[in-house]
Amino acid sequence: MIALLTGMLSTAVLAGGVLALAALGEVLAERVGVTNLGVEGLMSLGAVIAIITVVATPNPWLGLLAATMAGATGGMLFAFATVIVRANQVLCGLAITFLGLGLSASIGHDYAGVPSPATFGRVPVPGLSSLPIIGPAFFGQNLPIYLIYLVLPALAHWVMFHTRHGLAMRAVGENPAAADAAGLPVTALRFWYVTLGAGLAGAAGGYLTLTYVPVWSEGLVAGRGWIALALVIFAGYRPFGATLSGLLFGLITALSFVGQARNWPIAPAFLNMLPYLGTIAFIIVPVVVWHRMRRIMAAPAALGVPYHRDVR
Amino acid sequence: MLGLAAGAAGSGFLRPPGLRAQPRLLPPIAEADALVAFGHTSPVTDGGWTMMHNQGVQAVRKAFPNLRTIYVESVPYSADATRIFRQFVAEGAQMVIATSNYGDFIRDVSDRAPDVAFMECDGHAVSGNLGWYYITHWYASYVIGIAAGLMTRTNKIGFIGSFPIPSVYAGTNAVLLGARSVNPAVTVQAISINAWFDPQAATQAGTALAENGCDFLCGIMDEPAYLRVAEQRGIKAAMWNTDMRQYGPEAYVSSVTLDFRDYYVSQVRARLAGTWQPQGHFLTLGNGVDRAPWGRTVPPEIAAQADAMRTRIMAGYNPFRGPIRDAAGRLRVPAGEVMDDARIYQWDWAVEGVTGLD
Repeated sequence: MIALLTGMLSTAVLAGGVLALAALGEVLAERVGVTNLGVEGLMSLGAVIAIITVVATPNPWLGLLAATMAGATGGMLFAFATVIVRANQVLCGLAITFLGLGLSASIGHDYAGVPSPATFGRVPVPGLSSLPIIGPAFFGQNLPIYLIYLVLPALAHWVMFHTRHGLAMRAVGENPAAADAAGLPVTALRFWYVTLGAGLAGAAGGYLTLTYVPVWSEGLVAGRGWIALALVIFAGYRPFGATLSGLLFGLITALSFVGQARNWPIAPAFLNMLPYLGTIAFIIVPVVVWHRMRRIMAAPAALGVPYHRDVR
Repeated sequence: MLGLAAGAAGSGFLRPPGLRAQPRLLPPIAEADALVAFGHTSPVTDGGWTMMHNQGVQAVRKAFPNLRTIYVESVPYSADATRIFRQFVAEGAQMVIATSNYGDFIRDVSDRAPDVAFMECDGHAVSGNLGWYYITHWYASYVIGIAAGLMTRTNKIGFIGSFPIPSVYAGTNAVLLGARSVNPAVTVQAISINAWFDPQAATQAGTALAENGCDFLCGIMDEPAYLRVAEQRGIKAAMWNTDMRQYGPEAYVSSVTLDFRDYYVSQVRARLAGTWQPQGHFLTLGNGVDRAPWGRTVPPEIAAQADAMRTRIMAGYNPFRGPIRDAAGRLRVPAGEVMDDARIYQWDWAVEGVTGLD
């Protein structure tokens, strides 16, 4: 039983890491008021760029960096269209998804099936990694896992909620006109946070091919980008919320496979549905049970609305 | 648009279905005038199913250098498929090969284009100009099952499938029956991940099976994710579609390998010569489907024992013989009865000893 829990938690952390990182990136974009539906395409782009990079120079950090840059480049394109030209965010996001999927399929054509020559090895934290159940899952993983689950969300949380800059950033997402009147650079903040968020989505794709499934094939991301988008809502647009929801989703997915492997008397189709049912339940239940959650979980007020100073 | 309509009319595509000619031989075609179109279910770079079909396309190109081939990747199982097959006909294809099951979506087109030869992999219908073909992969799975039965220490084999469909039933059941023929204590635990290609889900499924005591993983997947799980955990795995040993040389046992090259060349040759006939055809063990050369960690005596059965099957022996009970314990195949290929092709129940597939 303990071995089972240990293993389940361990795979949940690995599988959830992809989602947590992509969701964190999306939190950044949505906090400044821009919905980026391009996550799936950006992840795919990051995944293939990471493989191409490590095939050229077998250093996983370089691969991850290249994946981040690829995501950020796609993000700049998206931010240019949505923040500067102020085109429709939904359409541009979908365009980025298709662009990313198509581009990664064509540039990855010759890399299909090539195993990643360099991956992140495990770096156990001395002492903590031998704790029962949670030790191997949380303290016996590779370095990007620690980054994804601790360093990045902590940094984002601190910037967002404990600095003046974070206040400005959130103001841009809540009420860009007021922020503009207060002298904040609305366009610049939106542009760079969308780019940064897209970079994290690219990094999530790179993390996928550098640790979890170290090989490139078309369709590798398999819809995880869309799930990351949904998790942002469940996360209440908060960095640690994104991390936790990624982990929880990983755990439920792991549970559905463990259920099948242990032959629980539940239909496999139902077990496969668990992650999605879980997502819906997690979004609905807290809001219904505890009314205050509605305010806490609320989306930034200006989410999805392009800001035109000249029409004010 | 005009050109398309004219082309469609010229190829008989607009002829009402009621006027369809009775089954007959299609006229021969000069190689330089021939166009053969392939519709694939996934990208040709998928590393599995479609890649193997694409090798068949390459073989056709090599055998008939003056003939033109076209293909469309990722043809969805929807009315879009009808549109794509119709487009093939409109472009003047004399032969259309769908490398996966498209059922009525292809039948709609074939009935209206009686001068075009249609072939559907994993299909079931035969009409005046539509035939199907499939590989008898269950024999290769049976042979690999023997190796699995001899190599497992925990007597638990894991099977990662996509959906509960006949191919997955046949593959899972064949592994179990092969394993039980040498080790009656073996059970097979199956997991369906609802995809042919989802490395993340296959990784999780493989991990869950390994943690539940399986020390030999089988499956039908287009990619090698669970082989890597086996490699990391020091257990064994057998794959599908292609030789995948490079992804886990220690864990790799064998694969059910597919090879459509000779079959496609022979069918195109028949079409060119005017001797092509619609039929249902099974590619037999050794002629289109086989086990891959054994992995380096497979003991030679186990490989020899499994190969002895392979030789027997290739000589005509059918190991799928009664008594076979289903997972509920009901006798489905009485002693003395043999399940022929047509029956295995429709297999929709799990054999006693298989769990997780009902």
